Formats: sequence, C-alpha cells, structure tokens
Amino acid sequence: MRARLTAVQIAEDVFEIAVDTPADAQRLALELRKIGLAEDVVAGINRVAVSFDPARHDQVMAWMDDLPQTVPTNEAPPPAVDIPIQYGGEFGPDLANVCAALGMTQAAFVDLHSSCTHAVDMIGFTPGFAYISGLPDSVSVPRLDMPRPRLIAGSVGISGALTGIYALAGPGGWPLIGHTSVCLFDKDRESPFLLAPLQTVRFVPI
Amino acid sequence: MLHVIEPGLQTTLQGAPRRGHRHFGVAYSGPADPLSMALANRLVGNAGEATGLEITYGGFSAEARSPCSIALTGAHGGVSVNEVPASDHRTLHLSRGDQLQVRAPTSGTRCYLAIRGGFDAAVYLGSSSTYLPAGFGGLDGRSLQLGDDLIAPHAGPWDRQIETPHALRPVFLNAFALRACPSAETDTLPSKDVEMLFREKYTLGRQTSRMGVFLKGHPMQPRSDGMMKSVPVFPGTIQCPPSGDPIILLCDAQTTGGYPRIAHIARCDRHLLGQLRPGNSVRLIKRTPNAAVQDLRAKNALFQPWLGFDPI
Repeated sequence: MRARLTAVQIAEDVFEIAVDTPADAQRLALELRKIGLAEDVVAGINRVAVSFDPARHDQVMAWMDDLPQTVPTNEAPPPAVDIPIQYGGEFGPDLANVCAALGMTQAAFVDLHSSCTHAVDMIGFTPGFAYISGLPDSVSVPRLDMPRPRLIAGSVGISGALTGIYALAGPGGWPLIGHTSVCLFDKDRESPFLLAPLQTVRFVPI
Repeated sequence: MLHVIEPGLQTTLQGAPRRGHRHFGVAYSGPADPLSMALANRLVGNAGEATGLEITYGGFSAEARSPCSIALTGAHGGVSVNEVPASDHRTLHLSRGDQLQVRAPTSGTRCYLAIRGGFDAAVYLGSSSTYLPAGFGGLDGRSLQLGDDLIAPHAGPWDRQIETPHALRPVFLNAFALRACPSAETDTLPSKDVEMLFREKYTLGRQTSRMGVFLKGHPMQPRSDGMMKSVPVFPGTIQCPPSGDPIILLCDAQTTGGYPRIAHIARCDRHLLGQLRPGNSVRLIKRTPNAAVQDLRAKNALFQPWLGFDPI
C-alpha cells in the first residue's frame, strides 16, 4: 500500500484515488461506499473513482482531505469458482493468432491458462463483465485493431495479461480465445452477477 | 393507457438513473436529456424523475385508450392531436380515442413525453429506466413496438393546464457550446492537442447512441501505448481512442474504459448531450472544476423556482 492516498479531481463532480492493486481498489471502494456521501464509487484496476453531487462539494472536499490512510482488509471474497471453457473453435477464433504472437503452441497456452489460479480484478464495462488476472506478466496480447461488431455472451477474450468474459452479446475489442457456457449475468437470477471482485477463478478446459 | 401505433426509431421508457451499481458494470441510463424530462413531468404534476417516454427522432404516434393528461418537451418537429397542431411545453388533456402524433425534429434529437402519474415500468436494480444492451427496465427491457400498450394507472385527467415559462424552454440549434473540465489523462496529449480540443469546432460523427458520440474533424495524437489499464468512466467523460477522434460518453456509458480520459463535460451542460445529432457543430469551453460548480449552481437556480428542485 502506498504511503499516502491522494484524491485528484478529474471533473467537477468526480474524484479519483490511485492505489497499487485491484485488491486495494476494491477494499478502498467498499470503505468509501459505507460513508454514503458519494453518488457512486467505482473501483478500477488501480484507481477508485468517486462521483458526487456538486451541491455537496465542500463536504466531499473535506472528506477527501481526510481520507483513511490505510485500507482495511475486509471480509473474504466469495468461494472460488470453476469456469469451463471451450478453447478455440467457432467462438474462440483468435486463439491461433494469440498463440502465434506469444510463440506458444495452442496446447501449451491452454495448459498455462487453465493451470494458473486467477482472480477477478474488477467487474465493469457492461453488467457482469469480469476482468480476471492470473496469467504471468510476460503474456501481453494487444487488442484487436478493429473491435468485433458482435460477439456472443460467454465469449472469453485476452487483453494484455487479463482474461475478460463477455457477459452480454455485443461489440468487443478483445481477441477471443474461447467460450464458456456459464452465465455471468442473468437478470432473472436471484443474484444476477456470478462473479465478485477478488473472487478466485479456475478455468477448466472442456 | 396509450396504445402505440407508430413506435418511432427508438422510443424507450426512462425514469431515474440506475445509480449505485456501476461497480457491477451497470450503466446509469435514464433520460439522455434529463432536464427536458423534468420539464415534461412538471407539466403533469409529477416528480421530476417519474417514468416517461424518450422518443428519438420522432415518428411516434399513439392512441389514448382512456382519458389522460400528458406533456411533450425536448426536440420535436411538431405535435398534433387528431391531426390538429398542439403545443409542446403545455399540459395536453387527451380523451379516449384521441390520436397523438409526434413528428421528426429538425434540430435536436430526443423528445420527452410525460404522463400524469408516470408510466408503469419494470423496476430493476432500483430504477425503471430501460437499458437496451442488457434488456432490463422499462417495457421488457426493449424499445417500444407497434401495438404495445403503455399502462399509466393514474393518468388523469388532471384538473390543471399549465405551460413552461418561455424563458425556461430550451432551444436546440445545430451548434452546441459545451463546458468541460480537463481530466485525468489530459496530460497524455501533446499540448497543441489540448489547445485544439478547447478551441476548434468539431463535427458530431454519424455514429451516435445513448452510449456515446464521436467528435470528428480534428484528430488528436494521444501518446498512449494502447495498454492503459481500464479505469472508471462516467456520462460526460471524453475518451480519446487510438484513432484520435474523441468520444463523449452519454447516459448509457460503460462503467470502465481503457482509453485516456482527456476531458469531462461539465454537469451543467451534460443534459445537452442527449440532443446532439450527427453533423452538429460542437465546441468545448474549458472550465476549471470550481467554475463548473458555479455554472451548475447558476443553471439550477434558473430552473429551481419553476421545478421546485435542482434538475441537473
């Protein structure tokens, strides 16, 4: 954890605080949400953004000047989840290109991806989309030059060293390596979101 | 009850924004021009965020299946009831069988229809607003279709007829000046690009949606390697993708994004984003955060006496 948390104003109604890790971001966000002064508190991978009603500007300024200086460790994340993945094939059309760029065989890549222990860094973009880390930093996959106009829900992509699972059908710019049949977002389910930040994820090849 | 005869290109039920769920990836939604929605609700005696219709590019018609009081605001190219021209910014009392028609606007994009007591809609995560990408809120999470029946259980008729004061009726032209503050990654632009951003007249791109609009004509050269970690974004955030054409995010904005955030539309002018249309000219006026807060207070003070609350 860095020595001092500092809030930077990035709009007249948004502050942002830089942190070191997704876990720090999630924990700080949880703390800030409890205070109830913000309209929204959103954790990024290494930031926490706080949007607020400018009518409460002075109150929020005072609050930001007096940020907690240590991020407490909160309750443990929900139990680990296994996510089955069909690697390659019709819904993983970029697997070959990704492997070629990384200089790996497809078998070696699948083995690496499914043997690492991953964790959800954050949920964002669209409802339920999960940004999942766990691949070694040496894996670095650039985004597609042109986003796909349409992909199906459950598509699994790679960007940098992150794995992303598209919870909804729609456009997407991450190279796709496979597909999962589990549903990350189901509006009719009692808990609509399958994954939560910091949750451990294992990918199981099928 | 209103029976939809012509749904228009994209007509959705919108109420309050879906606040407090961005950390699950859930966008705000709500009216793209919330000031116009609040003005419409005022004319039928509703709370400002009561559920109404957002009609995009007009072409909407409906029949009243029971007496009701409605009002229209925002952009439109004329309203008629039974083919007789009717006024916007005024309470309209419809009788059973009356046919309402909303024509396409010549400037501005979205027209708002409020009904006394608000429309029934599916409340999801605390809001009735339709979010099309995930199909929730509103009427089955979708835009209206021919034959839909819109239920409004307390639609009136109301015993009053009022008009928005003329000085408070927003006028939408083909040129917009939007106040904006520099943001977190403004410094990733070369300084000449920052000057350009707050000086040049941009043209609104052809691709527009409730998620975002492009500013064309003066591409930037962002010094980003394209590997930036995803960061929180909000309605009003201006991102700069590798193409260099800035994107302004609207009410259905995604919650995180991986492009540099080069500016942020001030809250006082964010309601205008819902009225931008392709080809419009857009200039960004640089403000400090403190000045933007003053601008917001001034605009809210203008509308507060009429609406009874701060609308933006």
